Amino acid sequence: MKKIITALLFLITGGILLTGQSSDPLVASCVMNAGSNAKYLKDFRVQLGKTASPDELRYKAQISLWKNTKYRFTMCNADDSQGKLILNLKDDTNKLVLSSYDQKTGKIYPYIDFICNKSGIYQLGYDFANGQQGSGVGVISMIK
Amino acid sequence: MRGRFFYSLLIIVVVLCSCRNSANSKNEFIFPEADSVPIGEAEKLSAEAIAEISKNISSPVEIANLLQLLSVPFSPDYLASSIDANKQTTAFDKALTLGILGADLGYLNMYEKTGSSIDILSSIRKLAEGIRVGQFFDFETIKRLSLNKSNLDSLLFLSIDSYTQIDEYLRNDKRGQLSALMIIGVWIEAQYLATQVVRQYPDQMLKDRIGEQKIILNDLILLASPYCSRDKEFNSLCKDLQEIKNAYREVRITYTLGEPVSLEKDGGLVIEQTETSTVDMTDEQLSGIVEVTKNIRNKLITNN
Repeated sequence: MKKIITALLFLITGGILLTGQSSDPLVASCVMNAGSNAKYLKDFRVQLGKTASPDELRYKAQISLWKNTKYRFTMCNADDSQGKLILNLKDDTNKLVLSSYDQKTGKIYPYIDFICNKSGIYQLGYDFANGQQGSGVGVISMIK
Repeated sequence: MRGRFFYSLLIIVVVLCSCRNSANSKNEFIFPEADSVPIGEAEKLSAEAIAEISKNISSPVEIANLLQLLSVPFSPDYLASSIDANKQTTAFDKALTLGILGADLGYLNMYEKTGSSIDILSSIRKLAEGIRVGQFFDFETIKRLSLNKSNLDSLLFLSIDSYTQIDEYLRNDKRGQLSALMIIGVWIEAQYLATQVVRQYPDQMLKDRIGEQKIILNDLILLASPYCSRDKEFNSLCKDLQEIKNAYREVRITYTLGEPVSLEKDGGLVIEQTETSTVDMTDEQLSGIVEVTKNIRNKLITNN
């Protein structure tokens, strides 16, 4: 029982410390949810209105990824978000490397583990499925 | 007849030239033609482009993670311990040193030498306050987390997030030159760490990671270029970056093609990239990079 209370206290204190500092509680909770083996690297806060042409993902950013590294891309949505956050990753030749949205089945994955074997600068594309209005955060971590 | 001959010759020349360009852009990384971006052009860099570049630069935590993966033991000898925050008088020195110490903090955190990071944290506090960005660093919380090793994830997040906020604030506050200095400081110190370790632990993965820095070096130079003629200190730093670039000139990075392989696991997706990048770098080239990095980094921390 003592152990459980101690563990709970630790978790709560950790959460307060994290959310207390971050200007955005959604970012802090998404970082916490990335997994105990994940080491935080970057986050991207995405807030978009509805669009009539959802083909091209609207929020774009660049990131360098390194060979022999396993990355985790975690997507989190705000409680009041109408759409679910999705991610595409393209390499420097504009080739699609990964997508968290399976267009055939409509399935949206909440996280993707990516085993990188080609170092370079990649382009991240975030949006909300079907061009919906939404609010979310994408967190990038490293996994051991 | 003659007209048809020249027409055919023209097609062959065009095809050969385009094949050559294609091979270069797809299979090998080369520095862009304009080795030094003209100042006029660089000044036109949009705030968005600068923000992109600053996000591109990899975190020192990634280098420290690789060192841990290779079972390289922690060594305090790599740290810029000689830096005295009280002696940094100019905004240039403060911002650059803030970057250097940020990389050291990442190294200490990853190795969980968090008790030792208190001195560095105090210096970071002074430097951040010196350029009026101290409000983005919750020193008391970070210090408390540093003394409590079990909160490593929170510590990593808060430390990295603080630097990201400082970077964004400086750019929005029209002090992009300080943001650039901080990012360059972080990169040089992480590069110093990697190049010092490789001398004792010449692991291929580490050598490759050092060689791969060629990919982002041009972005770093681009980031600094609008400010190269700003003052003597900046001008000297730009020359230093060009010197590092020269050491990388003959390093080759080639790519092989492949399709990613994916599988579902625990509700998420696991994707393994089969495309690969390969670094072709001789021991002499590596020695040159190690040497030039050491000289420049030591010069920067001695000047400070």
